[in-house]
Amino acid sequence: MSETQVNLRYMVTDVPASVAWYVETLGFTPVGPASPAFAAVERGPLRLLLSGAMSSAGRPMPDGRQPEPGGWARFQFVVDDIGREVERLRGLGVRFRNDIVSGPGGSQILIEDPSGNVVEIFQPAAAFQAAR
Amino acid sequence: MARPIEGTAALALALALAAGVAGVKAQAPAERADQPGALGVARMRYMVGDIQSSVAFYTGKLGFRLVTQSGPFFALLTRGDVQLLLSPVKGPGGASQPMPNGDKPLPGGWNRIVLYVSDLDGEVARLRGQGVRFRNDIVRGLGGDEILVEDPSGNPIELFQPTAGR
Repeated sequence: MSETQVNLRYMVTDVPASVAWYVETLGFTPVGPASPAFAAVERGPLRLLLSGAMSSAGRPMPDGRQPEPGGWARFQFVVDDIGREVERLRGLGVRFRNDIVSGPGGSQILIEDPSGNVVEIFQPAAAFQAAR
Repeated sequence: MARPIEGTAALALALALAAGVAGVKAQAPAERADQPGALGVARMRYMVGDIQSSVAFYTGKLGFRLVTQSGPFFALLTRGDVQLLLSPVKGPGGASQPMPNGDKPLPGGWNRIVLYVSDLDGEVARLRGQGVRFRNDIVRGLGGDEILVEDPSGNPIELFQPTAGR
């Protein structure tokens, strides 16, 4: 494990289909052994752990709650041209949860993976971009 | 209403980046030119009920450092190379706005940051002593042991200790 690795875990309904989606849609690379219960994909410093219901992360809580995909917590990709990225993703048939929203810090849009997990595409406001 | 915030947040972030704050990296888009799309830096965003108490939790309990904060509307924290954005359920920020179908972004769910630790039992004892909420008990898995901490808004953070040798 690299010192600079950032690890995030997403719950998914179908691990192999999720690996394929992250590879084909967002340019991730599969890493390590994959199983129907669990697989990991990487892109740059980000390692995304994809856990299915059969993984240890899929076990129910003591109060019976079952981990599941969805929600609003998400990782964010910073892009220079959100319009171009949205066009590319629409061309791939990717599902969107909303349209581009502009806020004080920049513009963002939410896409959904096959399990309904959110990934955010974000273009910082001009002042931020200039600082890069 | 949003204008002063925009200036403040953008300036603070720009200054943080210009100062070379550890963990805040502006990865050159050209590095990933071989990949589909011009995707750059990856960060995690959590929706929270209240920015101030959330910042206090992440800095006070989990060792995050506050990079920039825009009042009650936004905060950016880092821990190692993890960048965590906190957005309130209500505010002028893009992340706080409802979806076209009316759905409102909320805290919670199961997707999370995973923080690797070398002594999970010790870390859990330390956090329990500070009154931190846990969603479950330590789960022994194939690759390691894990437990879910909850932030004040109910977002999970996973503490993970890999099995020895992995």
